[in-house]
Amino acid sequence: MNTSTGNSIARRLAWMFALAAALVFMVIGSALYTVQRMELRRHQFEEVRIRFEYMQQLISRRIFNQTKWQILEDKLNELSPPDRSVLYLIQSDDPLYRYGTPFEASAKVSREADGIDRVDLSHDRTYLALSAEIPALGERPAVRLTVAADPHSFDTTKRILRISLVGFSLLGVAAIAGLGWWIARRSLAAVDDLSRHAAELSPQNLAERLPANNLPSELNGLVLSFNGALERVEQAYLQLSTFNADVAHELRTPLGNLIGQTQVILSRERSGEELKEVLESNLEELERLRSIINDMLFLARADRGLRVETLSLASIAGEVAATAEYLDILIEEAGVSLQIEGDAEAPIERSLFRRAITNLLYNAIQHGARNSEINIRIEDMDNGVSIQVSNHGEPIEPHHLERLFDRFYRVDASRTDSENSHGLGLAIVKAVAVMHGGTVFARSEADLTTIGLTVAHAKPPGATFV
Amino acid sequence: MKILLVEDEAKTVAYLQRGLSEQGYSVEVATNGIDGQHLAITGDYDVIVLDIMLPGRDGLSVLQALRREKDTPVIILTARGEVEDRILGLRSGADDYLVKPFSFLELLARLQALSRRGRPQDNSQLRIADLHIDLLGRRAARGLRRLDLTAKEFSLLVALARHSGQVLSKTVIVEMVWDVNFDSNTNVVEVAIKRLRAKLDEPGESKLLHTIRGMGYVLEVRDGELA
Repeated sequence: MNTSTGNSIARRLAWMFALAAALVFMVIGSALYTVQRMELRRHQFEEVRIRFEYMQQLISRRIFNQTKWQILEDKLNELSPPDRSVLYLIQSDDPLYRYGTPFEASAKVSREADGIDRVDLSHDRTYLALSAEIPALGERPAVRLTVAADPHSFDTTKRILRISLVGFSLLGVAAIAGLGWWIARRSLAAVDDLSRHAAELSPQNLAERLPANNLPSELNGLVLSFNGALERVEQAYLQLSTFNADVAHELRTPLGNLIGQTQVILSRERSGEELKEVLESNLEELERLRSIINDMLFLARADRGLRVETLSLASIAGEVAATAEYLDILIEEAGVSLQIEGDAEAPIERSLFRRAITNLLYNAIQHGARNSEINIRIEDMDNGVSIQVSNHGEPIEPHHLERLFDRFYRVDASRTDSENSHGLGLAIVKAVAVMHGGTVFARSEADLTTIGLTVAHAKPPGATFV
Repeated sequence: MKILLVEDEAKTVAYLQRGLSEQGYSVEVATNGIDGQHLAITGDYDVIVLDIMLPGRDGLSVLQALRREKDTPVIILTARGEVEDRILGLRSGADDYLVKPFSFLELLARLQALSRRGRPQDNSQLRIADLHIDLLGRRAARGLRRLDLTAKEFSLLVALARHSGQVLSKTVIVEMVWDVNFDSNTNVVEVAIKRLRAKLDEPGESKLLHTIRGMGYVLEVRDGELA
């Protein structure tokens, strides 16, 4: 699918196969070449030696007078090829018993091996030569026999061998690269398959997962973790759409009222007084909508992970007391009393923090039993400062407790249209806690319900003190 | 008082112009950033109400251009409501801001606060019909009947009396009396008003403290209305 890009696995594999093949061929090729060269040299020496030994035997046994010498000369002429690739040379003190032209004086002679010399002539010709003294026999004096062979034809063989080794190696490398690419493509077909599946994933089929069966074990882990990620995305997505549905539902009631009562009042002639009454009622609903929208925007900002940026170190007890002062009238009306215990300092954003405390206290005031005490406990803990607000009253059942901080969640469903509660109060407390690097908690034992939040000791990274 | 309103949404312009005119302001309107900037710099206004999202030129750059020329008080209207926007707005020279959707009463309160700025609060006495408030002695009386008010009740009464005849929303009251500047969704104001009313308007006396449903509260004399 993606083979045209430089990053293709198949292409990279093919290159790596080619490289490996080239390395292997190089090693094997040079080993073969070395062995072959040594063999060829041995053959060259052998050839010179066989010719020499034959001639040596002949001369030392049979050539004892001039008549025999003549026969030898004929034989030597016959044996010497016209291209001078083999030379016979006989030297002696007696000019009658000489044959061939001796090597020129400028020739370079070097010992090759086993009595065989290498003779480099000036005009670019090289011989391998073997020579020895043959003792006198009959009339014939002692002579020196030299047999020399030009290794040129062996050199040609060597060259051909070299060229073919290199050529076949290159062909082999190319073949392996090609085959490697084909094999890689075949093996990676599973990946293509996965990516086709992945391309089909969309919010319309959230439950869809990548097929994990029949996969090579290498891909299994990847697919399993990818499916895990899909699972989490699906959860978040469902949560979000439930949330959107909740919002729509919350807004639907006031909108319905607005539309309905406006239509009813406009369908007949009405007195100014009646019109005014509807407008007033509409305004109440609209204020409610505005308040919900503002709170939703606030929560959305907190959801995006927005942390408080301007913090100041404050006495938590002081802030709680200031907030309690604001709610003083309500505390009095509800006939409860307020007790603040402990204190600690923490970096907070004042108006956000007071907003959270207002919501917590307001909640406790509304649910506290008459003439009971609301207790606010401030504790310096390892992971931050905790503020616990406890009130006496109806216990909250465990299944409510865990959803208490959910948006629009109400323990008492009949209280939905209480004028000042949108079911967002505790959600806002949670958002403020999160914005301060803290968390929220709730518990209910016997008639004592405790709801609270923590704020972190340290300022979050990037935040500034003012 | 002369106000320049720079806003492109036709309905918003219509109701603000009508509402502000009825409150005695003279209102001029620009519906895009370019006209707005031209008017703001060449005209002579007491306050400018400036939307951020504008065609032609956005509100913040209009504000920056204006600030290079003069320092007419500016109230920014923003739909975004982001904290960053607020800081950006105030740093670029805005005197105040309102987050859409805002309430008209709040805008009125801000306008008054801005136009009053710099003018000292001279009165040490407030008088509405037979209500008499002594700001220095922190005492209030209706006729000869001394009102026994708590500190907060007194502050509430003063806030209403200072804006006598003008409807104050709960948000505005909470901010003026309790210095709370966040949406609290509590019924503190209702309860406080109820208590103040019980002390202020006794049966048989003419009613001073009125509830305007959906809007807020107003302290004024209305003919023939008895508590």
